[in-house]
Amino acid sequence: MADDGSVTTSAPRSAGATAAVRAYAQERIEWRALNIASIVFFAGAVAFGVAYGLKGDTFYLRLATEALIFGAVALSVDILLGFAGLLSLGQALYFGLGAYAGALVLKQVSESFWLVMGVSILVGVLSGLIGGLIAIRARGVYFALITYGLAQIVAKVIYNTRELGASDGITGIPIVNVSFGFWQTKADNPAGFFFVVLAVIAIIYLGLLYLSGTPFGRALSGVRINENRMPFLGYRPDRLKLAAFVLASTIASIAGGLYPMLRGFVSPELMYFDASTNAIVATMIGGTGTLIGPLYGSVILVFLKSMIGTITTHQIMVIGALFMIVVIFFPRGLLGYLREIVVARSRTKDGGGP
Amino acid sequence: MLDYMQFVLAPQMLNGFAFGIAIVLMALGLTIIFGLLDVINMSHGEFFAIGAYAGVVLLASGVNFWVAVALVPLLMLPVGVLTERLLVRQVFDSADRHTLTLLLTLGLSMIFYDGLKMVFGPNPLRPDNPIPGGIEVAGVFLPAYRMFLIFLGAAIIAAVWAIIYKTSLGAMIRAAAFDRNMASSLGVPVSAVYSATFAFGTALAGLAGILLAPIFSVFPTMGHEFIVIAFTVVIVGGMGSIKGAVLAGLLLTQVQAIASLIISPVWTDPILFGIMVLVLMFRPQGLFGRLGHG
Amino acid sequence: MIRNSTLIAKLAVAATLLGTTAAVAQDIKVGALPPFTGPFASIGQVIKVALDMRAAEINAAGGIMGRKVVLVYEDGESNPATATQRAEKLFQVDKVDFLTGTVHSGLTLAVGQVAERNNRLLATTVSFSNAITGDRCSPNVFRVNPSAGMQASALALWAADFKKGAKVYYLGPDYEMGRSTIAEFKKEAEKLGATTAGEVYAPLGAKDYSQFFGQMRAARPDVLYMSTGGTDSVRLLSQLKEYGLTNMKLIGNSAAVTSDNLDAMGNAAEGFITSGNYSTLIDTPANKVFAEKFKAAAKIEANLYAADTYTVLDFYKAAVEKAGSVDADKVRAAMRGLAWDGVAGKKVMRAGDHQAIQDMYALELKGKTYHPLAKVDGEKAAGPDLCTKW
Repeated sequence: MADDGSVTTSAPRSAGATAAVRAYAQERIEWRALNIASIVFFAGAVAFGVAYGLKGDTFYLRLATEALIFGAVALSVDILLGFAGLLSLGQALYFGLGAYAGALVLKQVSESFWLVMGVSILVGVLSGLIGGLIAIRARGVYFALITYGLAQIVAKVIYNTRELGASDGITGIPIVNVSFGFWQTKADNPAGFFFVVLAVIAIIYLGLLYLSGTPFGRALSGVRINENRMPFLGYRPDRLKLAAFVLASTIASIAGGLYPMLRGFVSPELMYFDASTNAIVATMIGGTGTLIGPLYGSVILVFLKSMIGTITTHQIMVIGALFMIVVIFFPRGLLGYLREIVVARSRTKDGGGP
Repeated sequence: MLDYMQFVLAPQMLNGFAFGIAIVLMALGLTIIFGLLDVINMSHGEFFAIGAYAGVVLLASGVNFWVAVALVPLLMLPVGVLTERLLVRQVFDSADRHTLTLLLTLGLSMIFYDGLKMVFGPNPLRPDNPIPGGIEVAGVFLPAYRMFLIFLGAAIIAAVWAIIYKTSLGAMIRAAAFDRNMASSLGVPVSAVYSATFAFGTALAGLAGILLAPIFSVFPTMGHEFIVIAFTVVIVGGMGSIKGAVLAGLLLTQVQAIASLIISPVWTDPILFGIMVLVLMFRPQGLFGRLGHG
Repeated sequence: MIRNSTLIAKLAVAATLLGTTAAVAQDIKVGALPPFTGPFASIGQVIKVALDMRAAEINAAGGIMGRKVVLVYEDGESNPATATQRAEKLFQVDKVDFLTGTVHSGLTLAVGQVAERNNRLLATTVSFSNAITGDRCSPNVFRVNPSAGMQASALALWAADFKKGAKVYYLGPDYEMGRSTIAEFKKEAEKLGATTAGEVYAPLGAKDYSQFFGQMRAARPDVLYMSTGGTDSVRLLSQLKEYGLTNMKLIGNSAAVTSDNLDAMGNAAEGFITSGNYSTLIDTPANKVFAEKFKAAAKIEANLYAADTYTVLDFYKAAVEKAGSVDADKVRAAMRGLAWDGVAGKKVMRAGDHQAIQDMYALELKGKTYHPLAKVDGEKAAGPDLCTKW
């Protein structure tokens, strides 16, 4: 049984040149649909931030900030799963490392937003290189299990290290000032910090969008579609996968660096399996391989969890049922369906597809 | 030194062996399901818990312990068949089978966990030890029930091995695991074999649940706690390998037992995961290969 | 005509609804974050029964300053990341005046910080970690239950009489509560002349404790001190019995054997000795009524969590009535040094570190009930105030 054989669901490939042109055209339509979705997302986020900021709200703004932070982790899952075809069961590890690095910097070195961002990028790159070199040796499901094992080991080591607060974690992380020169805010200003995080996420998103159009992005998709063929095209799949892994871990680590600024603490639970699966589910809800989908998925998941927890104490059962419904009935996610609808429409406009 | 060997090391290894057999019982079902269906069954831990709770209910209603041990696996069969037919099959043919079945069974495990807590409450329960007491050999105390578990466990392992390698059902399972399409064209009822195998794995988990209940107790999060080590055993042994699950189960519990004498036991979990990662790096098919292969 | 009467009926309903909303605005809201899921779910259940029971009684007797107490629950899940978010919801959306019901010590520390940043007050009734009222104390966090240190010194005072120079073996889980209770007890016990036969930390949720029995047997201890809790204690004690290791005196922290995990142990915990501020047999009029009522509601005997959680509402009520307001700063001032009647005796909230001081007992388990053996003065057990934040 194929451990690594995943066939792409979009972009039908065919030998003929016209088919290739048509596939390319379709892909452009798909990305246009996704671009509209991303404009809606960010415009909606800005409108939400302004409206709730003016209202003087705290909880929903901070919940949305958290959703964006977790959204970046989901985005990193999507880079691996949607583009390189690699399922990571331990993405929370890099999030947690960034969070601990951020917490330590803020508490012991300097209360600097920019230093935390720099350090979390560094931590993400280094830990991603180490984790990636270990994990990409394995394929398919074995890759997934290796990422799981690595996250378990590190979480357990931190759990047993008293210098890092052990099971109690680290609290008392100071409220940081964020200055962009022309504008500044504090991490405990709900609207201000929401926009800071939104800006970070937007930069990450735009960067990824750009990358997906470059030869690197296309080659990465090639790895997912048919890894064995890549060497014939002059690519080294292992290097591409490592690059994707480091990219993903860096994004998760940046998100991690933002977390202690928002919540003021870090604890080993941030690295647990639950946190990793949440990122996967957010990606699935939004739509794998769509980049903007995971952000939508994260917002949906975070808000849903918060609401369900208030209504019933059996939220685990409800979330479990949600997992199953998504997997059985909507495996392509929200944006996956939107993309299909747009493509189907454009086909009828062109007078029918293949 | 001799004293240490006799009173510390020997009982340690023997206790590790009894625990190893217990883990193997749980890992067997997991490895068979993976070997044949290529499905990572995250709800296996909850099947184990359901078996234990079913045992508690039977015992509370006056059923003899040994009758309950025989009944629980039978009660688990429909649970397995339904899970396979109604859920796993929905996404089985998808290209992302690993991801989808993993999330699907994870969702199922959450529902089962919460359901068990809803029905039985969060407090732990424990059936009485059916064979209390023990014997003393050369100053080392051997609890009777653990000795019994070692023998029964060995018998179950032998029976599972015989079913897989000596019966026609086993031949069909192995054929379907090796090449599903070929097996199908040779007249193997692949669909029925899948359900039967899933149910068989589920029954084994349930059996482990009731057998281990008197020594490990019964509580809603028990599945979650046991699945991690069972998974490690299955991966190290080779997913789908019966021999691998048995040897890796015994080996890893010995590593755990001896390591906890030398260093603080809190580091035994990272060591086990470290071994798992190393195996995945250098021998991803596990130490002993897969079902239907070699 | 018929139409008109329906209209009037509707108006009447609307008026009643308006009336209720007006009444709701007058309610005092108390938030609670107990774990309903995860390994501490059994404690969460006890907390809910105790809070519901006491809130209903207070309301039946006229509420707090004539205002009704309304409880708002969220599942704390034993995960600080989830709990901080839900605590913020309780403060910001539900506008609770006061928060309680946290269990996991790390979670109490993280949620305490949320309380501090929202200028609201939190009181824990379960968390043991010394840090909460020690080096990580917070002006917004109070502790109604005895800390790990208080329990340890009370138990050590009793253990001094048990056997001079007793050899003690320590076994606990690898998380802060387990480690800090052992460290505290060991310090106190060694001061009084006990020796250490061995010390081992097992992973939380360890399945098989028999792997520690070889070392334990070889060390030949007189006493086994355990700081495991919940299902870990069930496995440890039943496996000790299975292996015939019954010739040691079993002692431990007050979370090790409680009424919510006792049933699963059979008689393996018979004779277990711990220290605490509560037993169903402590003879006060309030306790008699409480113990019976709780047992009827929860189907298990009242335990330390039940008693301290029940009394946290009395603590809050007394403070609000003294302050004449629910304003956090005024209530905090009222809480400092406040003396009130707990279920099993008087409690005093120490102003310096926000730790409640109460008489402690050495308790011995006989059957399903803890029997008080000796009383230890609260001040003496509590030791000095180590908080330097205010």
